[in-house]
Amino acid sequence: MDMTRAASLPIIEYEGLTPEENAELRRGGLLMGSLEQVKGWARANSLWPLTFGLACCAIEMMGAGAAHYDLDRFGMLFRASPRHSDLMIVAGTVTKKMAPLLRRLYDQMAEPKWVIAMGACATAGGPYVNSYAVVKGVDQIVPVDVYIPGCPPSPPALIYGINLLQEKIKMEAAGKRVTQA
Amino acid sequence: MFGFIKGLGVTLSQLPRKKVTLQYPEVMPEWPERFRGVHRFIPELCIVCNQCARICPTSCISLSGTRDENRKQRIDTYDINFDICILCDLCTEVCPTESILMSDTFELANYDRDSLYLDMHWLYDNQLKYERAHPDRVTAGSDLQESAAKEEDV
Repeated sequence: MDMTRAASLPIIEYEGLTPEENAELRRGGLLMGSLEQVKGWARANSLWPLTFGLACCAIEMMGAGAAHYDLDRFGMLFRASPRHSDLMIVAGTVTKKMAPLLRRLYDQMAEPKWVIAMGACATAGGPYVNSYAVVKGVDQIVPVDVYIPGCPPSPPALIYGINLLQEKIKMEAAGKRVTQA
Repeated sequence: MFGFIKGLGVTLSQLPRKKVTLQYPEVMPEWPERFRGVHRFIPELCIVCNQCARICPTSCISLSGTRDENRKQRIDTYDINFDICILCDLCTEVCPTESILMSDTFELANYDRDSLYLDMHWLYDNQLKYERAHPDRVTAGSDLQESAAKEEDV
């Protein structure tokens, strides 16, 4: 099933063409499909992440944002408000006390929005996997697009994950399903 | 006004200096030798002593083995769950034959959690990749392999 935005747009029929030719034009994505791809390109290259550090992974996230690795190269500016941002990098341990607030911040972000689970804690609980107070993976609360393992992941590993997310945004705008890196 | 000129002076004095930014996706970072990246595994050296699985603080290693015709333990499966692995290096510390080691692979991000569950074959491929990337660093491991081969001959 085609889940892209382009598929939900009103169907344009060109005069003087057979229904088969019209279907082929739509499949090729001549007009609306390419517009979605331009939007995907723009979204992928201006991801504004929410400043949302919860633990030591946040230190590595700051390191990735600073001069040595410089996330600005990818058009990423950390924003202090969920209403400005379209990417949430969950960097650190999500406790059960923090979980509803994380969900609220996610709900306050404007569409389209993406989530990166950075580090072992956000992916599956990490070293606190047997704790009574820690959420075992942030995917129980919000839909996660990219998982980055490591404790904490080094800045290049984070940048690799962000590049995977950019690939995913572009692929999904082109109407392809992304499952495996 | 003077403060403005002073600030610009600092900026201008920094301009001719060497740029510190690592252009990561184009230029790969050079990790030190003891960098703790994803594991690499040499199945021939493993004696299925289970020490790595017992010391692991998150219990992310699971392994199994059988005895061969010489009553030697041989590894059958060796899985590491990188969902919860914290790359603490304790498994390589306790390994008596140095069959589980750390590599400098760090690009492990993925779109789903299932593909972070890595088996023996992936880890051995990682070892081969590491040998190709750093031929000068893996001499100790190959010596051990040779001695193990000699023991088998005797």
